[in-house]
Amino acid sequence: MQFTADKEILFSQWVHDHADALYNYAFRRVADEPLSKDLVQESFLSAWRNMESYRGETSVKNWLFVILKSRIIDHYRSVARKDELHGTDVFFDQDDHWQKGHYPHEWISDPLDPLVAKDFYKVFRSCNKKLKQVQQSVFTMKYVDGLESAEICEVLSISPSNFWVLMHRAKVQLRACIEKNWINK
Amino acid sequence: MSTSITCKKAVDYISKKEEGLLTAGMRFQLWRHLMICSLCRIFSTQNKIIIKAFNKEPETPKRLNPEEKGQMIRAAFESDH
Repeated sequence: MQFTADKEILFSQWVHDHADALYNYAFRRVADEPLSKDLVQESFLSAWRNMESYRGETSVKNWLFVILKSRIIDHYRSVARKDELHGTDVFFDQDDHWQKGHYPHEWISDPLDPLVAKDFYKVFRSCNKKLKQVQQSVFTMKYVDGLESAEICEVLSISPSNFWVLMHRAKVQLRACIEKNWINK
Repeated sequence: MSTSITCKKAVDYISKKEEGLLTAGMRFQLWRHLMICSLCRIFSTQNKIIIKAFNKEPETPKRLNPEEKGQMIRAAFESDH
């Protein structure tokens, strides 16, 4: 890559070929358009600066994905440092039983039934967005990327007990929000 | 060790059970709690649905427009100056 013009042409091709795939991957994990664009932009910036170190051992696409994933992990870490890990638990009373007014109710139809799934997912996504970013990160790592709790603790540098409190609160809140906003309960 | 657990503990055990982190004793405590607590039974069922919803979430393909891609390219080139 001795000629700048060649390097620029090649890089532009990479952006055209892979930006959408990277953007979709990021959006699935951070659920925020501007943030996903920033993560992709930063990844390309890093790719540009390190183009000489790309030796072709993996595909360009894989190489770009490695960069993006490390940016996403940095993002997760920064929200884990920033967000308060604990909050007040309004769902349980002082005896640790369900608080009146927060009792779970039966849902009359299966939310994943194709007939109602579209409406359900609208609510599901908006409820997910209402969670703290650190809670969203934990859910994504666990249920989208399939990591185990110990791996998530390591990535986020949090203790197992902090992880379980986070998970517990996030689940109870998400369930309650879905129930409150989904008509088909 | 007491054999009865609270609802809060049961919710915690439900999450840990997904990863096989419960001992036989804890599994028994959870099973016993779910036998008598309809609220936690509902929670447990809906928790499974929510997990499935994460796994089955339909992809909503998104595209960056040419202008946004152009901006990414320019930002990289300009970072050299």
